Amino acid sequence: MKKVLILLGCPEAPSQTPLAVYASYKLSYLGYDVTIAANPAAIKLLKVSDPEEIYVKNMVNIDKCLNEIKFHDYDLLVGFVHKDAAASFFVTFYHILQTKSIALVFEKNLDLLEEYVNIISENTDAQIIAVKAYHNPTPLKIKFDKVIEEL
Amino acid sequence: MSFCLDNYLQKSDNYEILASQAGFKDCAMIIRFKSDEIVKVNPGDEVLGVRVIGIPPIPIGINDEKGTVLIPYTKPCHGTSVVELPIDDEEIEKIRKMNID
Repeated sequence: MKKVLILLGCPEAPSQTPLAVYASYKLSYLGYDVTIAANPAAIKLLKVSDPEEIYVKNMVNIDKCLNEIKFHDYDLLVGFVHKDAAASFFVTFYHILQTKSIALVFEKNLDLLEEYVNIISENTDAQIIAVKAYHNPTPLKIKFDKVIEEL
Repeated sequence: MSFCLDNYLQKSDNYEILASQAGFKDCAMIIRFKSDEIVKVNPGDEVLGVRVIGIPPIPIGINDEKGTVLIPYTKPCHGTSVVELPIDDEEIEKIRKMNID
């Protein structure tokens, strides 16, 4: 079974948690073994959103995950990038795993959106989904669906 | 026992925060500006017992006279900080050997 690691950033962006649950559902449906790496605050939101772990079965602390992962541990990396720190985390996980990667970049400020896209494109070969978004997860969901259809 | 930055920051107050809640590029610039010597490492390389997070090449600063290193430290909700902390010569030599240039 193929393995995917979904990397979450700071959970203050409202779109992130519902999209993380959706991405986990969608990738599980496609046959992936899904693990979500996040900080404790983001994991709490996931646990409340999916109390019986129907959609999100494996969650791991992002710091622990960072210190334990190795080259090619996962077949796919999917990262939520909506802050400078999230871009740094994504680039770092990408450099360790050296695997197929998708960056979901979203921000309401277009200058910041462009800045995060530039960081990802200049430092990785990841496929980038970039959307002006904050509260509304739909634009990101539509683009994500298109990309994973091609996996 | 080898040095671990995470444990050190939790258990000691013998360090200085030169920048906090900043972007990685600003922190990299502060490290280059405030250090006598720079060692460049890749994202994910293990420095002081933790994998360094950031955009390559990641600068690690060394101030030999003070016996300190300057390192970026990133958390998802708090951005990147620059931490300057004292470490022994043996650890400084280990960092020097990691230079990717």
